[in-house]
Amino acid sequence: MIIQKISRVLSNFDNILPVFAAACAAMSLFVLLTLPLPYSEDQLYPKEIVPGSSLNPYDRGGPPFTQAAIHSQYPENSPTAGYVTAYLTPLSLFLSEHTLYMGTTIVAHPGGILDEILYNTRGLDTVVEPTILFVAFAIAAYLFRKREA
Amino acid sequence: MNEIGGAPLFFLEFGDIVIYFTPFTLTLFLLALVFSVFVLVSRPERQLEIAFGGDAYYAKEISLSELRFRRFMSIACGLACMGAMVTGDVFDFTLFVSLVGICNVGIVAAVRSRHVQNAAYQYGLVALAGTVPMFAAAGMVAATTGTLSMLELAKGALTVPLAAQALLVLGVMGEGMAPFYAAKAEMFRAPGAPYVIMCSLSSLLIFLRVTEVILLI
Repeated sequence: MIIQKISRVLSNFDNILPVFAAACAAMSLFVLLTLPLPYSEDQLYPKEIVPGSSLNPYDRGGPPFTQAAIHSQYPENSPTAGYVTAYLTPLSLFLSEHTLYMGTTIVAHPGGILDEILYNTRGLDTVVEPTILFVAFAIAAYLFRKREA
Repeated sequence: MNEIGGAPLFFLEFGDIVIYFTPFTLTLFLLALVFSVFVLVSRPERQLEIAFGGDAYYAKEISLSELRFRRFMSIACGLACMGAMVTGDVFDFTLFVSLVGICNVGIVAAVRSRHVQNAAYQYGLVALAGTVPMFAAAGMVAATTGTLSMLELAKGALTVPLAAQALLVLGVMGEGMAPFYAAKAEMFRAPGAPYVIMCSLSSLLIFLRVTEVILLI
């Protein structure tokens, strides 16, 4: 009997979103009850905030083309990580030498800091992320142009 | 190592993301691969409807653009599934699963019927909401253990909190909700049918895989 009732509610797909939302709310409550969780001090890819560095907060240290220390999970799988993380193009170098307040600009424009966590040690993640975006754009474009077809 | 899916046969390293094939993940990977190939070679079903009270029948035509789009989405879904089956990294797994979710939205959303579009909209909302607990779980795993690699977590020295595991399952449930909508939208026998089966298959596969992940970490 109870299964009949449940399946009757779930058979209407307008009800699944509220059911899922209720599950999320219950789960949030459960997670709040299990707090506080311990924080592990031994984190991968640690990054220090260096006050006074013009690349703050993206400074991973080291001169370019000498290997900066990156604490990765399997260092043997990415032996070249850390070589170009401090490399700046002349424009970025100019910016970084003349102002302390352009850190995000330097990271965000081409030729700025290459975060090797993103492009070397965790490269597959970075490939999948834009794929999600491209698929989302493809769906949006198809739905938008649907009336023309 | 806690070998829930059998002994690893082969490792493929992408930096810190180590893809590993155990008998379990290899089976799921091959299943996803075979279905992707089926989708690639199959043609959409042309539904026939008998006109009431006569000998006439209607054959529903699938436009080429719809066929192309749904085939593309199904193959993308198959590839995402293959990735989710074998990846050895918690964050990478969540990314692949959300890619599966968004591809499923695309497969459902391409059908030109108000009823089906409505279902796709509702499913899109669930899939969107499902990413929140899933990425929260990945963040909690990273914060409490300091690593994201399943192979490291499987050694048993690090304990993943129960809350993170529960959030991961809830998130994957949200992403894998597609069959509810696909079945409700009566699309298995609708025009363009074979591609919808990818929704169900990918949901089944990610549920199987998340079970392994939860038992492993």
